[in-house]
Amino acid sequence: MSMLRADNVHKRYDELEVLRGVTFEVDPGQVKVIIGPSGSGKSTLLRCLSLLEEPDSGEVSLEGKRPGPGEVGMVFQRFNLFQNMTALQNVMCGLVEVRGLSKREAQQQALEFLGRVGLADKTAQYPEELSGGQQQRVAIARALVMRPKAMLFDEPTSALDIELVREVLDVMESLAREGMTMVVVSHELRFAHHVASSVLMMDEGRIVEEAPPDEFFSSPKEERTQRFLSLVE
Amino acid sequence: MLASFDTHLFWTALSSGPYWRGALLALGLASAALGAAVAIGFFLALGRESRLRAVRVFVFLYNWIFRATPTLLQLLFIWNALPLLWPVFAGSWFTAFMAAFVALSLNEAAYMCEIIRAGLLSVDPGQELAGRALGLTRRQLLRRVIVPQAIRIVIPPTGNEFITLLKLTSLASVISLQELLTASGNLAAVKFQYIEAYSAALVYYLVIVSILMALQSRLERRFTWTSRRRVRARVSAPAVPAIPHDAR
Repeated sequence: MSMLRADNVHKRYDELEVLRGVTFEVDPGQVKVIIGPSGSGKSTLLRCLSLLEEPDSGEVSLEGKRPGPGEVGMVFQRFNLFQNMTALQNVMCGLVEVRGLSKREAQQQALEFLGRVGLADKTAQYPEELSGGQQQRVAIARALVMRPKAMLFDEPTSALDIELVREVLDVMESLAREGMTMVVVSHELRFAHHVASSVLMMDEGRIVEEAPPDEFFSSPKEERTQRFLSLVE
Repeated sequence: MLASFDTHLFWTALSSGPYWRGALLALGLASAALGAAVAIGFFLALGRESRLRAVRVFVFLYNWIFRATPTLLQLLFIWNALPLLWPVFAGSWFTAFMAAFVALSLNEAAYMCEIIRAGLLSVDPGQELAGRALGLTRRQLLRRVIVPQAIRIVIPPTGNEFITLLKLTSLASVISLQELLTASGNLAAVKFQYIEAYSAALVYYLVIVSILMALQSRLERRFTWTSRRRVRARVSAPAVPAIPHDAR
């Protein structure tokens, strides 16, 4: 059975039809990378999958049920850390407020997850004192500590300086190796090549093509995909 | 030195009971009114962003009425007309202090509403999105994330408002509240020593406002988020346009 599933999802904002019937699924442990031009509906699809946006029609399900709070982790392009909290407090917040854990327990788990993203020495720092790459790793830890069943990444490296991209991709790669179910919107094609189980091309609110990375990059079937790839590479 | 300045009278006035009590009353009234105004203003600010049209219209009307009419008129209305409209307000509990407190709170809430709204809107909406993705409720988001950050933005203009309120308390002299200005007016009227009488009042206002300013800068540092708290805040708050000073 699939882990995360979207079934004929439609979404419009006023006149603009952003998703025109998207159906796709991710099996447990799979990593799907979505590429496509801006405005193609990639971000909206992720927001619908995490129920940050309610689809106008169609179904989103996690293991056959509607996702609960924190069950689908989300990582954003601009990190979106809580500016009034230290790295540690950012990671603890969901555990204390949503899961109802005691401060002590939350702190223990938060420290463990900050360690996993290589930030054990930055726990007392506030977001504005961290580099972009460090902030994004805190954001990943903040989502992971909730023990999500799937993780969604919305262009997680596109707001980063080039030399900081690697540290974030490394964390994502090791997460994938540990068997996390992931959907990643990204134009890091090398990452897609190495890590993805399959790559999807989106355009104008639809999925135009889906294929394993080797096939997707070497012999894309759709003309739209070929055109897009020639621009990105 | 001024030939006619009676230093002895000035010191006597400064340490006299009516001045002390007047100053305390002004300070108490301004603080209480500001506290109530912040609370009311917070809900008005949330109401302005409400999904319900009726709520938005109510807030609009409230702000319109309280900002478009003179504070003195509102004060007189509440003190004199309210007891005629509702007998509850004719009771002995509705003292001049209560009337002044109600009038200034309601009036100030309209101004605080705008200030607090600007503060809430200044918090980057991405944080709200991230909070919702974690499963935080709207209440938890406001309490843990949005309000603490909005406070930083709200403090400086609120300091201004406190100063305005402190001075507005002198309006309450028209409804027979013995505040600071009344005290100096009384003294001046008896002795015809205007300079000394008013100078003493001036000193009180200056002292109160100075203490407030010191308090404000401490508060601002408290709500600046870096691990080097002690260092003077290097993140400057976004410039808040000074309210062109108003004879409300």
